[in-house]
Amino acid sequence: MLIDGNAYIGHWPFRKFEYNTLEALLGRMAEFGTEVSLVSSLNGIFYKNTQSANEELYAAIGSKRSYGDRFIPFAVINPIYNGWRDDFATCTGKMGMKGIRLYPKYHGYGLDNPSCIELVKMARDKGLPVALGLRMVDSRPSSWLDIEKEWSLKDVMPIVRSVPDAKYLIVNVANGTALGDEDAALFKKSEVVMDSSGRNILYPGQLLKDYGTDKLCFGTHSPILDYFTGLLRIESLRDDEADAATKELIRSGNLKRLLEI
Amino acid sequence: MNKINRRTFVGNAAASAAGILWGGSLMSFAPKQQAYEPPHAAGNKNMMAEVLKYRKIDAHAHVLGNFTVDYNVDFADRLGIDKLVISKPMTRGEGPPEEFRACNDVILDAVRQYPDRFIGQMTLNPRYKKESLEEIDRCTDQGMVGLKLYTQVKINDPLFYPIIEKFIDLKMIILMHAGIGHARIKFNANEPPNVSIPEYFVDIAQRYPEAMFQLAHIGGGIDWEDACKTLQHSPNVYVDVSGSNNVANMIDFAMRYIGEDRLLFGCDNSFYQGVGHLFSAKLTDAQRKKIFFDNYNNILRKAGKHVD
Repeated sequence: MLIDGNAYIGHWPFRKFEYNTLEALLGRMAEFGTEVSLVSSLNGIFYKNTQSANEELYAAIGSKRSYGDRFIPFAVINPIYNGWRDDFATCTGKMGMKGIRLYPKYHGYGLDNPSCIELVKMARDKGLPVALGLRMVDSRPSSWLDIEKEWSLKDVMPIVRSVPDAKYLIVNVANGTALGDEDAALFKKSEVVMDSSGRNILYPGQLLKDYGTDKLCFGTHSPILDYFTGLLRIESLRDDEADAATKELIRSGNLKRLLEI
Repeated sequence: MNKINRRTFVGNAAASAAGILWGGSLMSFAPKQQAYEPPHAAGNKNMMAEVLKYRKIDAHAHVLGNFTVDYNVDFADRLGIDKLVISKPMTRGEGPPEEFRACNDVILDAVRQYPDRFIGQMTLNPRYKKESLEEIDRCTDQGMVGLKLYTQVKINDPLFYPIIEKFIDLKMIILMHAGIGHARIKFNANEPPNVSIPEYFVDIAQRYPEAMFQLAHIGGGIDWEDACKTLQHSPNVYVDVSGSNNVANMIDFAMRYIGEDRLLFGCDNSFYQGVGHLFSAKLTDAQRKKIFFDNYNNILRKAGKHVD
């Protein structure tokens, strides 16, 4: 089974992307054998009121009965925008969303913000994963209106330190993965999974050795990145790097565990 | 060195403008008849078999820093890359002759270690004209093919002209680094002053229509949409698809503006992305064969250095 841990619908303001609707994403999934995709709305990055994007996503998934079996929605919550506690309750209650997605760089807060920490604790208490990306796009050819600074893995560690018993999904690992000894130890024992879409998943075989077989999952970062590269990092693992059971963990098992599905 | 024959120049320019000299790139806007074939089409469960079935020449690779000989060969084996065109450009500093000779020696050594896997590509510094021309002879005598240059001069700098003319005679391609430049609209303040941008490639390609140029890495942080649109009418500029930025629709966009005859597979050591986005793009089997292998092999063929 193949589960994509990192997909989106919606628009990116600086470039036209194809495959940015559920129907188009479903087409890609069929081509490459993906059965289920975790999906959130790109619009939630840019709408000041992110709940509008969550409502769009909820409506889109509800527009066809078959979508409910193929897409697992994640809510975009901005913990410094009024009403966010109600948004969280609505998304994870009535709307049935299975995780939350944070955009601190785009929404203008730090991971040490008390509201952010409170939100992550709320997700923890509901058993829901918190997804964070190291970047959305390569900042070099983006617009002058886009943010410039990208994160490394160490930049997400403050929230893991603050709420070590939450579940985390780190996507598009595009930059450095080096951690200090304390953070590395915390990372290993925490429920953190990274997806395979980012350019800095350079040596997935070594990553499995260094951090364990429970830390990697398939992810595309579609429609922004090409659909196949994240999968190629997994499929090209040699037998002595990942046996069949480990590959199955990466393809779906680690996400199933994270999502409790 | 042979002088440029101006009659050849004008004749080639006319042929080039008609889209004849450099193949069918100007014709490639026509809708393709063959269906696009994803690597994991229904019923085909062995994705890696699909990846490995294509012969591949990596048109942009380096033995440089962490990118060791063994690193390159290991990735090539993993992803079924038959040949890598390797170079060691001088990415900072003045680039004096002793430095570019040493860089080329590293590449010559690498090719000696893996003669069946590596094609050596030289580097030099056009600011040292005499030493550079001598270095071209030394390197070609030892089997090197083509030139990789970084930011010693802009690609359309007159200092580069004698080098370009030599490579016209050799029938070998010139791979030039392309910088981020004005990718974020405002010109990147950290770029070295002599970085080349797509507009300069257009300029030099018009001046030397017999020459073959290769714009480096549309996935290397440049504005690939801007680059492809800029180069759409430069039939003697090839575009390699290497780099770490595997944006989803880059290849499809490049197919529209550059076409299947001028796109070259390359990784610039970002191996997963280089291979991955060619399988994600809407390409036919025949188009993949061209981009992965045939286009570069045809370039090598002009100098009699093709793979088979």
